Amino acid sequence: MIRVAAVGDIHLSPDSRGLLRPAWETLGDCADMLLLAGDLTRHGTLEEAEVVAAEIKGLPVPVVAVLGNHDYHSDLQDDVTSVLERAGATVLEGGGTVLDVDGTRVGIAGTKGFGGGFAGRSAGEFGEPEMKAFVRYSRRCAADLARSLLELRDRRCEVRIALTHFSPVPDTLAGEPPEIYPFLGSYLLAEAIDESEADLAVHGHAHLGTEHGMTAGGVKVRNVAQPVIGHAFAVYHLPVDLRIDVPAVG
Amino acid sequence: MKGPEASEYRIARLRDRLADEEISELGVRIDMRGGYVHLWGTVSTAACRTEILRIAETELGGLPVRADLTVACATVPERPEELE
Repeated sequence: MIRVAAVGDIHLSPDSRGLLRPAWETLGDCADMLLLAGDLTRHGTLEEAEVVAAEIKGLPVPVVAVLGNHDYHSDLQDDVTSVLERAGATVLEGGGTVLDVDGTRVGIAGTKGFGGGFAGRSAGEFGEPEMKAFVRYSRRCAADLARSLLELRDRRCEVRIALTHFSPVPDTLAGEPPEIYPFLGSYLLAEAIDESEADLAVHGHAHLGTEHGMTAGGVKVRNVAQPVIGHAFAVYHLPVDLRIDVPAVG
Repeated sequence: MKGPEASEYRIARLRDRLADEEISELGVRIDMRGGYVHLWGTVSTAACRTEILRIAETELGGLPVRADLTVACATVPERPEELE
């Protein structure tokens, strides 16, 4: 069994320095990793990123993160990533990482993701260049997530987790105004998660949403935005599926 | 233009103001109900809540406000969820 701690939307800034550290220092007792589902800062400044870095530095479990839209706000996302990586976090955007948890290979694929809406009510790649760029970007995020999850399967990961900021399903948005669902997630992420048969999907972004959801393919989805989970992190115990289906080589 | 429509625009401006550089708070829901502007949601710090209420007062220009803004809890969860 793998113990996954996760939280998103912590929105740290200098006035919240040290806020989460006392709770996060206990992670070694209850979790094998900490996943951060984006919106770690308020405006995406380096000063705020340094606050996040101080919270995660030297934690007793590995930290894997994606950035959120707030972390892009100052156009310093690459620098924010560097600050977090210097503090020991693995920051994913379209890639994956493998953690060894007592001999079990756990793969995490991450992307911020983007909006566009959900099946039957989604934006199309049509019309103005701005609209086409919006949808193409969302498609690219989802394609990168699918590719990374499949690569993790080929790398013999017994457990694979999709980590995003935007939501793959509308289920976990319940509580948000329905009119803004297209800005909160995209079914393209769920399609990527289902096609690559991930074991769990974790996201943030929807502060007024709900924790539990599921993709059409039956993959459990958890919205770990801090206002939703009501704690410094949530912990999920994930069973290890030993039936690894690795494609034949050659 | 007067009356409810003017209130709508004020609320829209408050949303924009909360989303901008000053505070970048997108997680607060703002609606007009029963003649009051309702603000509710969970924010990251008490200072953030105070700032939201201050901005609301300046943007809403005297419209009556009911606020239910809670501060995010930074505690350890009581138990894990077992996923099957």
